[in-house]
Amino acid sequence: MATTTQDAAKVGAQVGRSVQRLESREKVTGRAEYTHTMRLPNMLHAKMFRSTVAHGRIKSIDTSAAKKVPGVLHVITIDDVMKVIPNPYYGPAFHDQPILAHEKVRFVGEPVAVVLAADPHVAEEAAQLITAEYEELPPVFDEVDALTSKVYVHDELKPAGTFADLKHLKDAKNTNMALDYRLRKGDVDKAFAGAAHVFEHEFKTQKVLHLSFEPHATIADYRDTGVTLYTASQGPSFVRTEIARLLGWPENKVRIKVPFLGSGYGSKLYIKLEALALALSMIARRPVKVALTFEEMFYQITKHPCTFRIKSGLDKDGRIVARKCEVFWNGGAYADIGPRVTQKSGLTATGPYEIDNVSIDSYALYTNVTPAGALRGFGVPQLVWAYEGHTDMIARALKMDPVAFRRKNLLREGRPHATGTILKDAATEKVLDKLVERMNWSQPFDNGSGTVKRGRGLGIAIKAVITPTTSVAIVNVSGDGSVTLYCGTSDMGQGSDTAMAQMVGEVLNIPTESVRVTPRDTDVTPYDMGTLGSRSLFHMGHAVQRAAEHARDQLKALAREVGEPENSNTPIRELFVKRYGMQAGNVIGTGVFKPDYVPPAPGTGLSDNVTAFWMISGAGAEVEVDTETGHVKVTRLVNVLDIGKAINPQVVESQISGAASMQIGFTMFEKMHLDGGQVTNASLADYKIPGFHDIPPMENITVDTYQSNGPFGAKGVGEVATFCVSPAIANAIDDAVGVRLMELPLNPETVFRAIRAKAGQPLGDE
Amino acid sequence: MTPFELAEPTSLKEAIKLLDPDDPTIRPVGGGTALMLMMKAGVFKPVKLISLRRIENSYSTIAATGDGLRIGAMTTLAALERSADVKKAAPLITRTLKTLSNIRVRNVATVGGALAHGDPHMDLPPVLMALGATLTVMGPKGERKLAVEDLFAGYYETVLDKDELIAEAHVPAHGTKKAAYMKVTTGSADDWPALGVAVVLEGDAGGIKSARIVASAATDKATRLKSAEAALIGGKVDDTLLAKVGDAAADEAEYIADVRGSISYKRELMRVYVRRAVRAALEGAK
Repeated sequence: MATTTQDAAKVGAQVGRSVQRLESREKVTGRAEYTHTMRLPNMLHAKMFRSTVAHGRIKSIDTSAAKKVPGVLHVITIDDVMKVIPNPYYGPAFHDQPILAHEKVRFVGEPVAVVLAADPHVAEEAAQLITAEYEELPPVFDEVDALTSKVYVHDELKPAGTFADLKHLKDAKNTNMALDYRLRKGDVDKAFAGAAHVFEHEFKTQKVLHLSFEPHATIADYRDTGVTLYTASQGPSFVRTEIARLLGWPENKVRIKVPFLGSGYGSKLYIKLEALALALSMIARRPVKVALTFEEMFYQITKHPCTFRIKSGLDKDGRIVARKCEVFWNGGAYADIGPRVTQKSGLTATGPYEIDNVSIDSYALYTNVTPAGALRGFGVPQLVWAYEGHTDMIARALKMDPVAFRRKNLLREGRPHATGTILKDAATEKVLDKLVERMNWSQPFDNGSGTVKRGRGLGIAIKAVITPTTSVAIVNVSGDGSVTLYCGTSDMGQGSDTAMAQMVGEVLNIPTESVRVTPRDTDVTPYDMGTLGSRSLFHMGHAVQRAAEHARDQLKALAREVGEPENSNTPIRELFVKRYGMQAGNVIGTGVFKPDYVPPAPGTGLSDNVTAFWMISGAGAEVEVDTETGHVKVTRLVNVLDIGKAINPQVVESQISGAASMQIGFTMFEKMHLDGGQVTNASLADYKIPGFHDIPPMENITVDTYQSNGPFGAKGVGEVATFCVSPAIANAIDDAVGVRLMELPLNPETVFRAIRAKAGQPLGDE
Repeated sequence: MTPFELAEPTSLKEAIKLLDPDDPTIRPVGGGTALMLMMKAGVFKPVKLISLRRIENSYSTIAATGDGLRIGAMTTLAALERSADVKKAAPLITRTLKTLSNIRVRNVATVGGALAHGDPHMDLPPVLMALGATLTVMGPKGERKLAVEDLFAGYYETVLDKDELIAEAHVPAHGTKKAAYMKVTTGSADDWPALGVAVVLEGDAGGIKSARIVASAATDKATRLKSAEAALIGGKVDDTLLAKVGDAAADEAEYIADVRGSISYKRELMRVYVRRAVRAALEGAK
């Protein structure tokens, strides 16, 4: 602690310092404010009645018993909602999600009715007394089936108009496809025809949950003069826009306040419970809180299950000459941000390889399950799982070393990516080299003996940050010289407040710890696209840097104005006193950032500037496989990343280990089990996430790079360590026991079944 | 969770009086860790819960007796874990508790609750069963003795009447017996087991004189595997014999499929882990 205090007093060199999180004391002493624990005077609690069928027309809803429960104030269905919000549909990409089920239900767990009471237990008891009758319709669950199914989740598609590339889907009927992203480069068919080898594989990922430690929660306080929402959101600006649209109000009558978040991982992006909370408060004319239980989160938003068909053609020397990718994203009943995931991750589906002939089709598909959205990687982990497994399988088939094969085909700095954009500040070679060095790849490896076999594997990945997006920041220097930062980035545990304050401190030459970062409040914090896709440090970081520089320039002008010599060290307060005759006034610096971007050409998806920056990572794993039971023990996990310059090395380290640990769960055992659309393990008793005993020994390494267009050379780090964990482990299992697993998770039974099948003694289906 | 009434009687007798043999919506609650999960899931909606946490302190104590241990049913698993008497008389229990659920659960969950809940995924019942533990059960008509082995009637079912409560467990000391418990998880390390195997043996690798082998979690209730025990007794313990014992166990047990594994897979786990547990017992657990 002594060194910290000493550090804190230091000015200059704020960037690159492992500053302790500014909010950590508040959090560990239980004083930090979260929406989930917040209460307003006179507040009502909402509890939902949810659909028990996956697809059906609502024939009737019986709320009579619920209404009779003492303490119940309102029992609300979509009919009541439509009296206050006539068009009750919302969503970021499509306006397809009704505030409560409207005419149809589209997944098990969809909210159908709501009970309001002052006592949440009364509301829950009453909600359990509601019944509904449905005319059941055939459901569609599988993403590949959904493309050709005659069962349509929505009668008609309703693009929101937010994103230009969805406009062609307006009013589309008889389809479950919410986006068909395509990329075409070269002549794939011709290249396959001339290829010496062709490999085709299909990989799948499962449905998993974000499981933020603070479940979703929103409080709406509606008045005729304006509405305030307190909400656990990763995107207060978007919530404001969407709530204003639902109300037909100007944005300045809508106030969104976001305290700290108990994590988000993409689950609290765009709009979630806010529309419902708004409608309920309008009806009750009292503040209303909608807060999910852990169990209800299984019916809010999940990661996209994915089927990826990947086909590669190679010449006789092992160069990939053609790659065809067909990616099917299981988007669930409502599009949420699925179409963005489909496109923005889809464009990197060929991986960090230089391939002249490429064809990518990436489909966002509606199905009758819980909606899917962004989850720490925005679709990229699903893609890497497939292309890095595929890459290893090809290397094995060609009897090439997996590293040598990757080196031969690696997309290098200065070379064109499949989109046509030239790779810049993307350390593919450095990452691969460092990974190979740390894994001692050139040394022989002991594959074990007896019933425990050992193996090693690796993977390398690329992601393009979602582009274009905008951030705005304000730096306010008060009359006493103290500095406040207003920025809309939600600190959900990733340490963004601290990193942003470091940038302010760097520019203004003041200690980071002296900078106050205001809690997010759209009445005062300016616009930001959202805390998503590892974009904030780069985009908001730029805006913060510019705002701080703007403030610094004005302070210099103020010094000149009051007659101070250039570069004088007169305290800021004295400048204000000299100017205003007392401690008064402000200097307001503003900064806006939107990166350059060229939209992909229609039809081909080509663009010479498709992304603001690239993210590159690699992972290597060593495993032990118990061949008698299929248990896999990861004995070593090496994560190597290109993150540019670290603003806060300690936070970077925790982001890397956190992301990799989360992906360990998604790799080894996490899975939402579905039976007829019903989640059969929708509780923490049966849906397990990694604990300390599940975390392997981990080595986290960042290669020495500098993002030339980044703020202080930095770029995002939140997701990067998730990308390669799954394929590295599957490749290691293959190395150990010679079985190839193409569907996640790699749980013991899956591994054991594969081992038995390979031995010609398949395990029964019992 | 829906509202319910909570009674906190101060004696075991009083608690028994508050129970109703014919009303399943009235239930006793010990630490509540298992019951709360069921209530949160809406699987169980009590009208009234009879909390046992204020009954006589003697039911929360552990005592060394001449031939073993007397453990009050309201003893927490954490107290059991830390007891020097338990470590001395029945070190298998101490070892088992290290990986039983997590510290937060162990701090409040009770020995009586772990037994009376009848959940086949609990780690303590197969261990107590293999050790040959017996119970003192109290009811309106007085007390009776019951072997843990005879407690379970099926999946989440026991032979206890709804107005009977477990008062104490009596665990014979290991003495010269050798013992092991293996918890096999297929999800996270702290998940419920997919299979639990408890083994208590008399003898050595040259020949086993008596054996108790109990499986749980993969089965609908903690179950003694008597044909596996029979296969183990007598001969020299080598790979051939252990393979026979594993096969006997795999064939004998009846399995349930769930998110932790299919029947076919659990059968293979049984084959392997009964073998490993016998070996671990003979080699001496760490």
